Amino acid sequence: MSLKQQIDSMNMNEIVDLCIDQEQQAIHLYTMARDQAKDEHAAIKFQELVDMETAHKVALQKFELENYLDLPPADLKVTDYLMEPVFNENLSTQEILILAAKREDKTAKMYQDLANHFTSDKKLNTFFQMMADEELRHKHNLETEYEKEFLQEG
Amino acid sequence: MKREQPQSFNTISVKERLIIPRQVMPEQDPLLRSGNFLEVNLGLSAEQAVIEAQRCIECKSPSCMDGCPVSIKIPDFIQLICNKDFLGAADKIKEDSSLPAVCGRVCPQETQCEEVCVVGKRFEPVAIGRLERFVADYAMLHSNGSPVTPDKPQPSGQKVAIVGSGPAGLAAASDLIKEGHEVTVFEALHEFGGVLVYGIPEFRLPKKILRQEVANLEAMGVKFVKNFIVGRSMTIQELMEEEGYDAMFLGLGAGLPRFMNIPGENLNGVYSANEFLTRSNLMRAYEFPEWDTPLYRAKHAIIVGGGNTAMDAVRTAKRLGAEEASIVYRRSEEEMPARNEEIHHAKEEGVKFMNLVNPIEFIGDEQGSVVAAKCLRMKLGEPDESGRRRPVPMEGSEFTMDIDMVVIAVGNGSNPLISQTTPAIKTNKWGNIIADEDGRTSMEGVFAGGDIVSGGATVILAMGAGRKSAIAINEYLKTKVWSVV
Repeated sequence: MSLKQQIDSMNMNEIVDLCIDQEQQAIHLYTMARDQAKDEHAAIKFQELVDMETAHKVALQKFELENYLDLPPADLKVTDYLMEPVFNENLSTQEILILAAKREDKTAKMYQDLANHFTSDKKLNTFFQMMADEELRHKHNLETEYEKEFLQEG
Repeated sequence: MKREQPQSFNTISVKERLIIPRQVMPEQDPLLRSGNFLEVNLGLSAEQAVIEAQRCIECKSPSCMDGCPVSIKIPDFIQLICNKDFLGAADKIKEDSSLPAVCGRVCPQETQCEEVCVVGKRFEPVAIGRLERFVADYAMLHSNGSPVTPDKPQPSGQKVAIVGSGPAGLAAASDLIKEGHEVTVFEALHEFGGVLVYGIPEFRLPKKILRQEVANLEAMGVKFVKNFIVGRSMTIQELMEEEGYDAMFLGLGAGLPRFMNIPGENLNGVYSANEFLTRSNLMRAYEFPEWDTPLYRAKHAIIVGGGNTAMDAVRTAKRLGAEEASIVYRRSEEEMPARNEEIHHAKEEGVKFMNLVNPIEFIGDEQGSVVAAKCLRMKLGEPDESGRRRPVPMEGSEFTMDIDMVVIAVGNGSNPLISQTTPAIKTNKWGNIIADEDGRTSMEGVFAGGDIVSGGATVILAMGAGRKSAIAINEYLKTKVWSVV
């Protein structure tokens, strides 16, 4: 069963739980990466990502979606054409930023896809649109950091 | 403390001074120079230097010194030029700068001392950089090859190691030797000068200028050790504990090339700017086969980036014989970090500028050599944190162009060797050494400054950091008081 079909048969609480699960997967992934990272600064960067996803998860649990009503900043697409690094214990900060930005992008696209699918259901459409916007906001922050440090254009 | 007004030797009225045109630096003809590695700028003549110096209006509160990271006494040395006391002017600069001939060539004066020159508010600013270069060259020429050195101070009995012979290290060494310390500079490469020698091409900074500056320091008593990699040949701890150094200054620079992380960057013919320029500048690939370093002679070379390194690389590619050498830059010319002079020279030499273009993939042939670049056209969006308008990809603008060489010049990071071998020295998440404003690191007796602390910056800022640390090192050696970073 596709995700869209699954959601068709869910109520709003179940859908929110599904989104929380998405965030939890991200938290799990970044926690694992943090614990495996050999470089102290890579571990710190992964912890920042854990914190970011945890905040998102908590907001979903409390259903505090009004925090996410602002339109997201423009998609910078800085990392869109970059190669996705494979998870390993030696990732550099540059690779971590690429990896995380690409992950946010994929999640944003999934939510956007769902928002587009549920155009006739105002509540669901708004919910998924807000989720997509929030993921894009994360991506924007990561790409801003990437651009500042790794595209100095010397 | 109020600064004393220098003695004026300028007999021309202020009104008359303001109508003197800024003196034009003679240059090699663009057509000629794009085929050789000789210096592009030829320097002001003595007559021109005096005329240019007369443009200074001797402000009561000169702002030019505030714009100089090492606070060279600019009004004083300019007045000495007015009096045709060129050696006196050189000595005046030497009070604050150990590398005047270098800074006169590569400093971005237009964003430092000349940017705040009062004359520049209504007219073109006084050409401070060109005057600095003139007196430094004059002093070198008239010292008959034997460096003029100050009297040797009483030995302090203290030993200082300087790691890296770039601008920060040389500036620190220059100040510390004057205090009577035993100073040794350790250099990883086979020639001294750091980025000045491996990064900046001969046509912008001839090696003989740098060698002369190093010779001056040697004559003052600084010891130079080459082919010595601190962290490999010996660690910092070993140098301190076994070799008995009382303090150390780390001026390692930012020499770790950064790549874009797009597909095809590992193809043959794709270089980092570091490798490309090191092969040419330090290993003299432009004199192959007389010198034993090959470097690919491209038909169409593209250089990705918009800074001075990118300009150096593209102009080098052109001189090496590339039929077409292009800058590929994702923003517009207005946002380029390169000096205007370098952009202007590159254009004169026939370099093509492809602005608002960003490579997204390099394509190779069966042999694994790069043959094409897939690019996107960009448009400018809202300003980013740096205040420059941010480039945004244009939908459906993808195109491919034939090329056979790429140089990536998007910036440099810090070499991780020191942080890997000396965990006591703390680094930030970008690998830069964490130091306080005087350069104190987290390890007692060890100071750091320049690009290894700040990330990629300018020669003069690195020199300023080196000088600041020298003061702090001197203080530490006297008191042995250490404040924890």
